[in-house]
Amino acid sequence: MGKQVATKVQAGAEGTGAAREVEAPPDAPTLRPVSSPKRQRILEGMLEAVGAVGYNAASVRTVLDRTELYRQAFYDNFPDKDACYLEAFDFGVARIEALVIAAAASEETWQGRVRAGLGALLDAFDAEPAVGRALIVEVHAAGAEALAKRAEVMRRITDFIDLARSDAGQSESPPAIAPEGIAAGIHAVVHSRLATKEDNGFCELLPELMYFAVLPYFGAEVASAEMQATK
Amino acid sequence: MVRSQRERLLEAMVRVAAAKGYEATTVADVIEVAGVSQATFHEMFEDKTSCFLEAYDAMIDVLVAHVSTAFETASDEPWPEQIAAALRALVELLAAEADIARMAMVEVTAAGDDARGRYRAALARFAPFLEKGRTYSGQGDELPPDTARFAVGGATSMIFDEIRAGRGTDLERILPDLVFAVLMPYLGPEAAEDEMRRAAHQI
Repeated sequence: MGKQVATKVQAGAEGTGAAREVEAPPDAPTLRPVSSPKRQRILEGMLEAVGAVGYNAASVRTVLDRTELYRQAFYDNFPDKDACYLEAFDFGVARIEALVIAAAASEETWQGRVRAGLGALLDAFDAEPAVGRALIVEVHAAGAEALAKRAEVMRRITDFIDLARSDAGQSESPPAIAPEGIAAGIHAVVHSRLATKEDNGFCELLPELMYFAVLPYFGAEVASAEMQATK
Repeated sequence: MVRSQRERLLEAMVRVAAAKGYEATTVADVIEVAGVSQATFHEMFEDKTSCFLEAYDAMIDVLVAHVSTAFETASDEPWPEQIAAALRALVELLAAEADIARMAMVEVTAAGDDARGRYRAALARFAPFLEKGRTYSGQGDELPPDTARFAVGGATSMIFDEIRAGRGTDLERILPDLVFAVLMPYLGPEAAEDEMRRAAHQI
């Protein structure tokens, strides 16, 4: 296995203006180099295949068709489709999470970080909608272990959103359920587009998704201003 | 009253799929529970999937009618109370029929594109109840276009997580959270939290 690449980013500490080092949560899948180029091609092929034909219809053959590798190369690396998808899920999530963290790093406020991070996420879906579908829609067909991984990702997103509580500008104290509702609501809007293959213009969703994220912590006025400014 | 063979098959499909899971369900299981012959099944349905999809739609009809009745019964109340009443009716029915709820909300997302399409269509049927919140809140078109989808998505995800965690029979516990998740996008955090507290007192 390759060395782990630390995903450390610089970000301003809320309220103080002082720079501090923000690390990805310790339980986040780290963006580490895949042990071989072939293995990486298979993981990418798995995400593309599952995104294109669905988890149930995807087979080792469909994956191999996208990688120009021999059957043996697949079985040298993975026991079966299910195991390959589980690793591909971590790989795909880590790749997008790195983009999100990098985009958010240069922002100093919570609102700025969420806007930049969410923007990076939507850009990633615009660039590779099939991968988005493989990670967000098809994970539901991939069994209990995959759903547990999905729940972990949602929990990290929820925690990230709830950092608003320590932001200097926060004006509301919504109940504990608020960040979960935001994460799930944003997920539902994106999921619906991915599932119906309305693949163009994910980034156009940014203003309204920001409205929903900002509203519970900062109230309607700030949320409307954010939506107008992001348009 | 004697129910038609078609109704018996649809109900048997729901029961069997809820108990065994959709994948494991066979036409043989369904006709045995329904007490209908295989020939009759095939006169009425092309295959297991088409029977399941029709059964699924019929089940959603029952659910939407139940929720709609609760919403209309509270029509003298302000919109947030109507929503709270509708959500209460929803969780009560889902909790009473926990196996069916699991099948309708969790398993269906794994059952292929057609079934997932039905599930999305089912969720969209709850949007009209929510969209009255645009008028009630006085914000109309100023609210983002996907507000109902966001609100339904938040609530659905909370229900989904409870059912997956094996707490489907105790869904009433999260009613206040659901009230907050659905009302917050329309009313903002403070008013939504007031409604949440009110719902908590009524449990």
